[in-house]
Amino acid sequence: MRFAATHKTTSYLAVAFAFLAMVGGGTVSPLLVLGGAVGLALSWFIEPPRWNLDRFAWVFTVVAALGLIYSGLLAVSTGDYLGHGGGFLIILTVARASTRRAARDWQQLYLLAFLMLVAGSVLNGELGYAVCFFGFVITGTWALILFHLRREMEDNFLLRHADPRASQRVEIRRILESRRIVDRRFLLGTGLTSVGFFVVAVIFFLSIPRVGTGFFFRGKGGTHMVGFSDGVKLGGHGRLKNDSTVVMRATLSAREFHGRRAPYVYWRGAVFDHYKRGQWNRSPSSPSTISWPERLPGNRERRYLPLPGVNLAGEGALAYARANAVLQDVWLDPIGADVLFAASTPLAYEFALPSNERRPLEKNDEIRVRHDGPLHYRAWSILEPPPPDALAATYSAPPGAPPDGDPYRQLPSEITAATRAKAEEIVAGATSDYAKAVRLRDWLQTNLSYTLDLRDPDGREPIDFFLFERRAGHCEYFASAFAIMGRVVGLRTRSVNGFLGGEWNEYDGYIAVRAGDAHSWTEVYFEGHGWVTFDATPPGEADRLGRGSGAWTAKLRRWFDTLRFQWNKWVIDYDLTQQLSLFRSIGKKLSGGGRAVSGAGKAVTRFAKRWGALLGALAVLGALGWYWRRTRGRRRAAAPTRADRERSELARLYEKAARRLAQRPAAVTPRELARQLAERGAAGAAQLEELTEIYYAGQWGGAVGDDALARARVLAADIDAAARAARR
Amino acid sequence: MAGASGAWARLWRRLRPPRRLRFTREGNWFVFLALAIGLAAINTGNNLLYLLLAWLLSFILASGVLSELTMRGLRVTRRPAPEVWAGQPFLMEIAVENGKAGLASFSIEIEDLIDGRPLDKKCYFLKIPPGKTQRTSYRHTFSRRGRYRFDGFRIATRFPFTLFRKSRDTDDGSEVIVYPRLTAVPRLPPRPRHLGSGQSDRLGRRGEFFGLREWKDGDDRRAIHWRSTARAGRLLVREVHDEIERRVTIVVDNALPAAVVRALDAGERLREDGPTLDALERAVSLAASHAAAYLDGGWGVAVVGRGLTVPLGRGKAHLARILRELAVLPATTEAVALGAADAVGDRVLIVPAGVAAAGRPTADHVLEA
Repeated sequence: MRFAATHKTTSYLAVAFAFLAMVGGGTVSPLLVLGGAVGLALSWFIEPPRWNLDRFAWVFTVVAALGLIYSGLLAVSTGDYLGHGGGFLIILTVARASTRRAARDWQQLYLLAFLMLVAGSVLNGELGYAVCFFGFVITGTWALILFHLRREMEDNFLLRHADPRASQRVEIRRILESRRIVDRRFLLGTGLTSVGFFVVAVIFFLSIPRVGTGFFFRGKGGTHMVGFSDGVKLGGHGRLKNDSTVVMRATLSAREFHGRRAPYVYWRGAVFDHYKRGQWNRSPSSPSTISWPERLPGNRERRYLPLPGVNLAGEGALAYARANAVLQDVWLDPIGADVLFAASTPLAYEFALPSNERRPLEKNDEIRVRHDGPLHYRAWSILEPPPPDALAATYSAPPGAPPDGDPYRQLPSEITAATRAKAEEIVAGATSDYAKAVRLRDWLQTNLSYTLDLRDPDGREPIDFFLFERRAGHCEYFASAFAIMGRVVGLRTRSVNGFLGGEWNEYDGYIAVRAGDAHSWTEVYFEGHGWVTFDATPPGEADRLGRGSGAWTAKLRRWFDTLRFQWNKWVIDYDLTQQLSLFRSIGKKLSGGGRAVSGAGKAVTRFAKRWGALLGALAVLGALGWYWRRTRGRRRAAAPTRADRERSELARLYEKAARRLAQRPAAVTPRELARQLAERGAAGAAQLEELTEIYYAGQWGGAVGDDALARARVLAADIDAAARAARR
Repeated sequence: MAGASGAWARLWRRLRPPRRLRFTREGNWFVFLALAIGLAAINTGNNLLYLLLAWLLSFILASGVLSELTMRGLRVTRRPAPEVWAGQPFLMEIAVENGKAGLASFSIEIEDLIDGRPLDKKCYFLKIPPGKTQRTSYRHTFSRRGRYRFDGFRIATRFPFTLFRKSRDTDDGSEVIVYPRLTAVPRLPPRPRHLGSGQSDRLGRRGEFFGLREWKDGDDRRAIHWRSTARAGRLLVREVHDEIERRVTIVVDNALPAAVVRALDAGERLREDGPTLDALERAVSLAASHAAAYLDGGWGVAVVGRGLTVPLGRGKAHLARILRELAVLPATTEAVALGAADAVGDRVLIVPAGVAAAGRPTADHVLEA
């Protein structure tokens, strides 16, 4: 393959990967993306000798200036500095690619590509970035190696040493078209090498201490879901039921929840206590979340929630959680809400504290953490509900206690008498609060049906409309009806929004919770046991998406989701905790290997005990001797004679003076440079010629003297003055 | 003992720092970029920036490993020009053999080292395929005569990314004798007794037969007296009368003031040594030029100096011997006596200008350089 063509191809591939890495986040204007792609494609054909680029050199400057003004104005007016900065990079890249002529232009193109990659690290955190990054690593390595060779060729080739006249360059084009410099083997070898160094980069990535103080990431913002903020209106979840976008992935320590046939998990999220006109809210009077915080290394915090009957304060809290609770590692995508989800009855949460952020308002045992990007946290939960007998033996609200002031017994005045009467009718004869709750749940499940086909209640109270006219609804209606009817019959209830179930991923052993898994249910308080989950939605109806099918398309989708998950887990969300955990496990494995060789180690230890002191002393002596010999040799070599000092000064004078006039390429000797400058009639060239001869005489003729040095100083000063004058 | 010292030398070579690394301009920018990305990563906690930082660091590592691979297994040899003259450019051939079995070497620079310092000229090899040898040559000019010792080579590369210039020095000692600078000199008139003899200046067999003598290197083969040679069993040549008369001894006085010589020996340089040393160089150059001119004219030439005696001889081989001796003729003091001059032929005394010294002989021509 031709050298020049290979270099061009690999360079364009590297730029293309960087371009895709940046625009893949979708935050750069689509018009600019399209224009950039077309511009880059066209720039492939714009090059000498087909185009005389000397005539278009000004284009780069003009386009860059216009691009800067355009992007600057847009950025200031919209406040989107990153997005428009990315746009400016695209403009610069297209302009540079279209006016590339020499090695320096390629170099600038690589720098722009790298900056696009940097911008992409902020604008695009998706799996696509990983693919583009990997592509850039491979093609960028090729491109940079070939660029190095190309530049060396341009600098060095070819000098006709046999020619008695001055060395002359020959046409570089012939060499650039050569097929003998790079071949498939070269590309394969360097490609494999770059893969090897990608692996090294991954090791570096995992090893660099995470001491970052914040998280700066601007993704697409994920899926924006309703129902998890401060309030929710009935009917929001229904629209999501068929959305299979994965919004959360979680692993559970309990194996009985693994697999496609495992029991469903209720991922508890936002909790509402106040109902009015078909809308649930967190009332100001509802109790704030009570928790015991524990600061952990790496700016992390673990917070324990109260569980009735268990004293969770102090050191025993985590021990209790570890012994009785199921550990969940949760990776939550941004969903437009800050609530954290955990299975059933959470006992503790552990997460990285965001920097400089005010803690969100937390009520009803919610834990909330603001996050603009994916968030990884841990939670410990009790998944098993208390036994029915125990619940039947206790009460929800103290018998005879008035509902006034209890936010969980609040009933708006618009609740119809029919609803109230129906509730009383259902629980008539129930001997305990638990029995009331069960009756209400069973009645709702058996007498009403599930539908996503919602209708406008047309001014009627929504629960009344659901119970007596429509007689069908989705989970929010069931949960709301249960909560309100429960309050009518004296139960303390609250509405919970979260997720139910999720798709089991067999490749990586996690549950992928999709937007369509959003669900509503109700919690009923029981004295001595806390809040217990009651789901009044008919079973089997709420889970439209199921646990995932065995079809190959579903398997392929899960496999891609595994990749995304791993990307988020090990790259986007990799933090100090994971780092410590990783190195701890490596340490354990190493110590396991160490035991295998401990037998040999014992023999070495015995030998070392007997001879160690002597060997150590000899080693120290040897090292000292070696060091002394080295430093003595250096001292000798370093002690300069007067002639050396004069030579050094002469060389310094020459180098400085020559640099003032021109950059001397590696393959051009001082004498050749002086001659070239003289032929060009450059200012100071005559002085440089004389200085060069003095320099040569000093370096190779041994003829340095005070007179020569003095003359060299004068000449250097003259050259400096001439260079200044020429610049003016 | 030789084996032991060889082992020590090998050990020492292994222990000394094998590589030099120097940042290039691009390397400086690269490190700056890596630092900036690192700071941004720490400041923001953005893991993708950490990923970029890790890649930049691995790039530096890759640069080190690939440059090492490309520099390994190279064997460099040099072949100097047959004759090297002060002040005249010469070509030095450099050959690089890639001894690696399956790996090409890219972008290799070779510099010759003299006194541990590289010459100003580099030889560049774009690609040396595995198991192959590539050659190129560089042009250089030594300003002064003398014996130059090439210590070895500096093998360097900026492969693969121009981030660093990695180099290592190899030992490969050899010497080059740089002959004194030859200048065009006017033919000196012979002694008055030769005037009008009508003898040709050309080397040849013309002239009155004088006798036979043994053949010496540089003699004209046509002068061999074959019959006598056969009888004697060794080469004998005819000597004609004008050859006896066309002899010259060139006396070059290489004495300088004692203070200058002491300073030169100590490696120091005095304020006033430049002119005297230059004068000596000019004297040696003049002596070489006259010797070449006389020999070209068929004369027998002997050269003497303080600590130097080149006996009478003729021909190109004799000229080479004279040039070699003059190339390494050191500056000395007048305490060292001049060699004995040939009593028969002409005598040319060449002295450095401005330098007085005792013990100079009388001469037909005294030239001041």
